[in-house]
Amino acid sequence: MDLREVDLPGIGRKFEAVTRRGDKVVLIVHDDGRREVHHYDDDDFDESISSVTFTDEEARQMAGILGGLVYKPKDLEKIELELDDLVIEWVKINEDSIAVNRTIADLDIRNRYDISIIALLKADKSKTLNPGADTLIEKGDTIVFSGERQHVRAATKTLFSTEGGG
Amino acid sequence: MDHIIFEIGTALLLVAIAALLANKFNFSIIPFLIILGMIVGPHAPSIGILDFRFIESAEFISLLGRIGVLFLLFYLGLEFSVGKLIRSGKSIVTSGSIYLLINFTGGLLYGYFAGFPLLEILIIAGIITISSSAIVAKVLVDLRRTGNTETELILGIIMFEDIFLAVYLSVISGLVLGGGTTLGESLMSILIALGYMLTFFIVARKATPLLNRMLKIASDEVFIIVVFAALFFVAGFSETIHVAEAIGALLLGLVFSETDQGERIEHLVIPFRDFFGAIFFFSFGLSIDPTTLLDAVWLALGAVILTIVGNFVAGMIAGRKAGLSHKASANIGLTIVSRGEFSIIVANLGIAGGLMDILSPFSALYVLTLAILGPIMTKESKRIFLLLNRIFKWTTIKPKTR
Repeated sequence: MDLREVDLPGIGRKFEAVTRRGDKVVLIVHDDGRREVHHYDDDDFDESISSVTFTDEEARQMAGILGGLVYKPKDLEKIELELDDLVIEWVKINEDSIAVNRTIADLDIRNRYDISIIALLKADKSKTLNPGADTLIEKGDTIVFSGERQHVRAATKTLFSTEGGG
Repeated sequence: MDHIIFEIGTALLLVAIAALLANKFNFSIIPFLIILGMIVGPHAPSIGILDFRFIESAEFISLLGRIGVLFLLFYLGLEFSVGKLIRSGKSIVTSGSIYLLINFTGGLLYGYFAGFPLLEILIIAGIITISSSAIVAKVLVDLRRTGNTETELILGIIMFEDIFLAVYLSVISGLVLGGGTTLGESLMSILIALGYMLTFFIVARKATPLLNRMLKIASDEVFIIVVFAALFFVAGFSETIHVAEAIGALLLGLVFSETDQGERIEHLVIPFRDFFGAIFFFSFGLSIDPTTLLDAVWLALGAVILTIVGNFVAGMIAGRKAGLSHKASANIGLTIVSRGEFSIIVANLGIAGGLMDILSPFSALYVLTLAILGPIMTKESKRIFLLLNRIFKWTTIKPKTR
């Protein structure tokens, strides 16, 4: 797949690709965090036939799915079994997440899911590496953690869940 | 005794309503605010406690508008960097040059044949040449055309125009505000303006490490004070040597864009640019006497037609040269045709320099027409292309086989 990257001054950055099957896809990463995916007509690469807009958070979730983080295609699972074990994931905490205003110890995700929290990024971009158990999680924080795929998936689910469902 | 805050509050309320309306119709706020400004003003009624004449606050509103220009150009300076232009490649430079050659020359000739003196010709050519970055970017995002092939070229041309604008404004501000009456004096003003500009370029290249250290301020509170102090001081100082204050703001933005803090300043300035910019458009409308609009109808109409044709032809040539299809090339001209903030800034310079009165209604009508018509043409570009294709027979449209 040929990937072409180009700056769009004032808007963001554009990634253009024609897949092996001949589909033209364009990804736009807007400076404000939005992502756009455009799909072009097979017969006329100038004509966009559909497009989808994602928020920053949605885009990250979709990226995980596309990257096989959430569900690994069956055929590949056997081949990459050895590499498959460890994954790294990051989750931005929504204001209605159950994690808001709790400490890492309160959530008990380290023990519950057997994952390790590698870093905590605050909304103002300051970061704590290997945060302690008493670190307070606030809305807008991004938690970076690693572990086995199934554990990471469970932990992600918990962090995305809301007060009521948690 | 004075109700100045209340008057300004009334003005802002109207601005807010106009902005909301523009938003509702998914339109740029620029034409809405200009029209609003023209409707109110000294000729408008005063109803009870609501005074729509804005007499007491006129000076203050125009000052806020002036600050708006500073922020608009400061941001323009912050946004562009020489590195970006070099990275963008040869096709941008070629297309930008083609665009400028056709449209700037067209503007000069138009002013000349309409019988204006030199300074007025230069202002008119400037108004006609520069597209509205704000409207073009908004339309491209709204119509979801950011992914299209021609969009790279469109944004490249816009960037090229912005650089041209920076140099051009410096030169004509020297001429218009320098007040030189002889050729020697005029040349001197131009040289001062260019020398001033060169100084900033050298500072941007050489003094960046020093500025990096000076701007390394952790506290946002102190940071904003320092940045704004620099902005207003430099802008004001420029005025004292007859370089438009806006140019001072632009050049300072350019210098800051080279520092580590460029992006931080950019984020900081955006809300100020948006707020004061809006007041600038309103204040510009306020300065237009609607009864004089009729005098400029034909002049503005001619300029509008010239712009549409010139932009379309330039886009077609630039697009084809860059290897785009006819349809994509047609989109270029039909997108960059919108006019807005920068045309008004050029016009404002002429008005501030005491040039002919007709510039006000002319620029207002011209910008209004193309700020409204431009986005419509962009939206309908496909239909316009198909229509023109029937006449020029660029390509045969294959019927869909699906």
